[in-house]
Amino acid sequence: MTPMRFEAEYGALWNEFAEQLALARTGKPVDGALLAARYRRMCENLALAQSRAYPIHLVARLEALAQDAHQLIYRRQDYGLHRLGRLLRVELPRAVRAEARYVLLALVLFALPMALSFVLALKGPDFALHLLEANQLRSFEQMYADGKHAVGPKVREASSDWQMFGYYIFNNIGIGFRAFGAGILAGVGSAFVLLYNGLFFGVVAGHLTRVGLGHNFWPFVCTHSAFELTGIVLSGAAGLRMGLGWLSPGRMTRLEALRASALAAVPLVYAAFFLLLVAAGFEAFWSGTPWIAPQVKYTVAGVCWVLVLAWLLLLGRKAKHAR
Amino acid sequence: MEGAAAPGQRVDTLALVETPEGIVLSLQPAGLVARTMAFLLDLAIRMGVDLVLVLVMGAWGGLGGGFILIGLFSVEWLYPIVFELSRWGATPGKRAAGLRVVMDTGLPITPAASFTRNLLRVADFLPLAYAFGIVTMLLNRECKRLGDLAAGTLVVHANPVVLHDAPPPGAPLAPARPLNAREQAAILSWAGRAKRLTPARFEELAQLAAPVLPPVQADEPKRAPAERLLGVAQWLMGRRA
Repeated sequence: MTPMRFEAEYGALWNEFAEQLALARTGKPVDGALLAARYRRMCENLALAQSRAYPIHLVARLEALAQDAHQLIYRRQDYGLHRLGRLLRVELPRAVRAEARYVLLALVLFALPMALSFVLALKGPDFALHLLEANQLRSFEQMYADGKHAVGPKVREASSDWQMFGYYIFNNIGIGFRAFGAGILAGVGSAFVLLYNGLFFGVVAGHLTRVGLGHNFWPFVCTHSAFELTGIVLSGAAGLRMGLGWLSPGRMTRLEALRASALAAVPLVYAAFFLLLVAAGFEAFWSGTPWIAPQVKYTVAGVCWVLVLAWLLLLGRKAKHAR
Repeated sequence: MEGAAAPGQRVDTLALVETPEGIVLSLQPAGLVARTMAFLLDLAIRMGVDLVLVLVMGAWGGLGGGFILIGLFSVEWLYPIVFELSRWGATPGKRAAGLRVVMDTGLPITPAASFTRNLLRVADFLPLAYAFGIVTMLLNRECKRLGDLAAGTLVVHANPVVLHDAPPPGAPLAPARPLNAREQAAILSWAGRAKRLTPARFEELAQLAAPVLPPVQADEPKRAPAERLLGVAQWLMGRRA
């Protein structure tokens, strides 16, 4: 068949297909079966045109059409609530358990410095001053003081709660995302974020407890820490997974290993994102409310810790979830 | 052969991918300049949105402050992800620059890949002004930054540049002997570039194919070899008399 006859025979089909494609790309409903049938037909034509070395303008036209259709036809559409539910109930906890080694490593890198700096800061004033500036410590003391300047337990307006919510989202989730992104540098970036935040939290907690403001500090942090600390550990674990994954690639090339480990790390980032979002909500609207008794806050905090751990350790274990 | 690429040298940067339909698509990875333009456009858009957000919400006190910060967070982190997962597969800046993001396989980008490549901007940005990203892009064949390497994505030109047109019209002329597929393709490609080559170069290339031209018939109007070869091209396209 000559190129001219080929074009005369199928040109009408290509034009119809291009029109339908343009319509579908604007989001209008089109006959999916017809689109798919025309697409297959056109792919057939393209393969023929390529193998018969038809003129380049003809092949290029078909190829551009095929690329556009390819993008449209294979686009993922399952972004519904059902998908989100499955992600949260099954896929995220499973992914976290599958990467348990990295999660434990991240936990050690975070909890060990935190415990150490907490104990050291509790023992005497020297250690806290090694890590933080004196005026930083003073501003923390003011924040949790019993007076009216306190950010912790005091009556805040609802609008100010919203402002803090925005701040926690902007700041804390940003830190979580950075902890993951910086992990590509052989995990060093994530390890740094984990160590730094562990030391920081430990020293602040230890210092405030030592100076006698624990009765304001602990009720404030206990609830959202269930989500926030887990979120930080998980985002650090995701970064470690990616960075250490390409560092010790096993039988893959480094590039393949990087790709595979980034793919394995992404669910941990989703989980961290979700946890930090919940943490921001609790921190803004629950932790700072002064009319809730500390005993209630401790109880809720206990429930939250149990829920978070149960989510990560127990959910999605049944075989019926297997696909 | 003169002018041919030596081993290790490349004629173009096309990335060939095979689709589930068994066809091979050639993707054109976008280079540093096109991507920088797209980035700057996106930056301008994002700063514009931030500015509007601050101006509108700023008057609302604490509630507005909260929305400003949530907005800034979304614009910084979620803006590229949401737009890449939309049906255009590109942020507005990339769309304006004629680019889109696809997987290495030519498929539309997946959510996991979009998250990976956009969160890794953190690493690409280091030590400052996307230095790691730019160096990585210049070092690998498909112009990928770290985020693209980890996510397995490609930034490609959405509308590939085609330098060939249909062969210009002319009286068809049968070649002196049957031509194999490669010869046919060479003559048709040459004819497709008629508008873009200088007449002298066009004629010069035609000389290479002189052996396939049939001997001049007595009743045939006098034509230059290039015109006669265009006739052969028309004959190959399927035109007869």
